[in-house]
Amino acid sequence: MPTPWSDPIVRVAFRDALPLLVPPIPFGLTLGVVMKTSALPLGVAWLSTPLVFAGAAQLAMVTLAATATWLTLVATCTVINARHVMYSAALAPRFADQPRWFRWLAPLFLVDQVFALTDAAPHAGDELRRYYRGLVLAFFPMWVTAVTAGIALGDLLPAAWRLDVAPAVMFCGMVVLAVRSRIGGPTPAAVAAIVAVGVTLLTLEAPNNLGLLIGALAGVVAGFAADRSPS
Amino acid sequence: MSVAFALSILVAVATVTYVSRAGMILFLADRTLPEPVMRALRNVGPAVLAALTITLVAGGEGAGGIERAEIAALFAGGVVGAWTRNLTWALVAGMAALWLTLGLG
Repeated sequence: MPTPWSDPIVRVAFRDALPLLVPPIPFGLTLGVVMKTSALPLGVAWLSTPLVFAGAAQLAMVTLAATATWLTLVATCTVINARHVMYSAALAPRFADQPRWFRWLAPLFLVDQVFALTDAAPHAGDELRRYYRGLVLAFFPMWVTAVTAGIALGDLLPAAWRLDVAPAVMFCGMVVLAVRSRIGGPTPAAVAAIVAVGVTLLTLEAPNNLGLLIGALAGVVAGFAADRSPS
Repeated sequence: MSVAFALSILVAVATVTYVSRAGMILFLADRTLPEPVMRALRNVGPAVLAALTITLVAGGEGAGGIERAEIAALFAGGVVGAWTRNLTWALVAGMAALWLTLGLG
């Protein structure tokens, strides 16, 4: 019986995915640990792993559930997902000649790593679909396993380790990585991040974590104003 | 929190995530977004993640909710993240700084 692994293009996708498979594992483990203490029921929090399948949005959803309103929480996750709009726009020409079912199904799995590899891959047509299938078969089980293992691990870790601080450290690391890798130079992104920090600090007293959205918006505007790169 | 309320959050977040990933692929085809929009989108990630970091360390208690050890953790995580470009090392450094600061009192 033919398995996905008998397809050489799936194997190429796997080989390409391999170095990117390990780094998200600590993230997934941390997310699973944090899910144990979330205001969300554990089952619902876990379901975000296969259904949302986006680390940053999941971590925001799980950690903000205790303090934010429904609207602030969903708005924050929407803003966090804005980078996916860029990915989607960048891949749109490559997907234009794909069958309708694939164009509807593929975006479910469009995480950062899948985007980066698909964007760099030379395949088109049927080969692109097979390559993409290989990537999904690599990243989806890895993520579900890591988060589930984190949940199992959560009970064993003592509260004195203060893993409640881990999500903030993760987001801080993501800021730095996003600033450093920004297309068109890091300066506007750094301005955006610094202004966002300042304005969020000033608006922390605003109800329902609204300061988060005000700070993010101020950062985007400041970054846009600071952007001097040629178009 | 009721399961129904939590599920409504899950469905909403799953939907906005899917729409952000699928929107352009389904409806843009071979057109592109206007340059200013793309340019503004590039700053959204750093801005919202920075705002989220601050909100989480404050923990709903205003600026007074930010502990000295948390500041040390963010600083160490940020520096090591910038240096290594690796989220795992950023997390390890941040947590190490947190434990060290807490241990020193």
